[in-house]
Amino acid sequence: MGIVIAVISGKGGVGKTTATANLGLGIALNDKKCVVVDFDIGQRNLDMILGLENRVVYDMVQVMDGEANIKQALIKSKVSPNLYFLAASQTKDKSVLDSKKVEKLISDLKEEFDFVILDAPAGIESGFEHTIEFADAAIIVVNPEVSSIRDADRAIGILDSKSAKVKKGEDVLKWLIINRIVADMVEGGEMLRSDDILEILNIKLIGKIPEDKGVIEASNQGKPVILDKKSIAGQAYARIAGRLCGKKIDMKNVEISDSGLFKKIVGIFK
Amino acid sequence: MFSFFGFGKKKSASVAKDRLTIAIMSDRDRTNGYPFMDEMKAEIMEVVQKYVGVRGVEIRKEVDGDIEALAIDIELDKNA
Repeated sequence: MGIVIAVISGKGGVGKTTATANLGLGIALNDKKCVVVDFDIGQRNLDMILGLENRVVYDMVQVMDGEANIKQALIKSKVSPNLYFLAASQTKDKSVLDSKKVEKLISDLKEEFDFVILDAPAGIESGFEHTIEFADAAIIVVNPEVSSIRDADRAIGILDSKSAKVKKGEDVLKWLIINRIVADMVEGGEMLRSDDILEILNIKLIGKIPEDKGVIEASNQGKPVILDKKSIAGQAYARIAGRLCGKKIDMKNVEISDSGLFKKIVGIFK
Repeated sequence: MFSFFGFGKKKSASVAKDRLTIAIMSDRDRTNGYPFMDEMKAEIMEVVQKYVGVRGVEIRKEVDGDIEALAIDIELDKNA
């Protein structure tokens, strides 16, 4: 029986889909069977990031409505035999989701996979609520920026009130990813530090991702950045995927720039 | 010149932290806190209804500085 993780953010454009794709692939590269599901009905994007947009035949709404079976709709990744993808519906509107159907789909996927990762839509409307309802855990993605953090807090609030686990008196696990950190700005006091963000949101950190131009380059080609061994964001995703698979990996301080580190070392010899 | 842009001026990240802390605190108050509110409402209604007719129950979480309180309004049903 697998674990279901919803990737949420509140605000759009913070890197939720990129995180879903990279963590899914990272988990698969750790020899776990993983499926990533795009829950952003009407705004399918995960297929592009994974480079699988030409393979989509059936989507998850067709599976839920019984127009296709899961085996037909699951798309195997080109990079890892452990990673599968289920596309969002591009044509139907968001109101097609219904709790009972979502629950059935998720429980079927849990039988087959070690990890079921759901890419939530932005915002906190019904599509978002359906994504979090049957999740065992949530990964919250924020940027070190006020509107993203505020919206994340509202999303967490809804998670705490609408989660089926919480309603049963259990805990839904919550992990924070801080994405697009610019070390120079943190050092200069121009960007919120991760400690401050954790204090404000009051949840656990699972990883910090530095700003990296490689992310856009990777998305241009449909090859998740985790495959680029030189990319600092790719390395950060690999660390998080390892942690999710139970490996003990120390938190790397991406909030110190190379020049800042150099200054510190020079300082020691002064 | 320096005193203008550098020294004596609060760094923008710490301004962000202060503003966020206040905005999020007020957001949380407004969304009214607890997931068990509906259940609690139903139970209060049940208890009061043993003695007198009830039309509705409203619960609000109120925060005043360090003090948090639940304000409970019970509207009675005169015809019951």
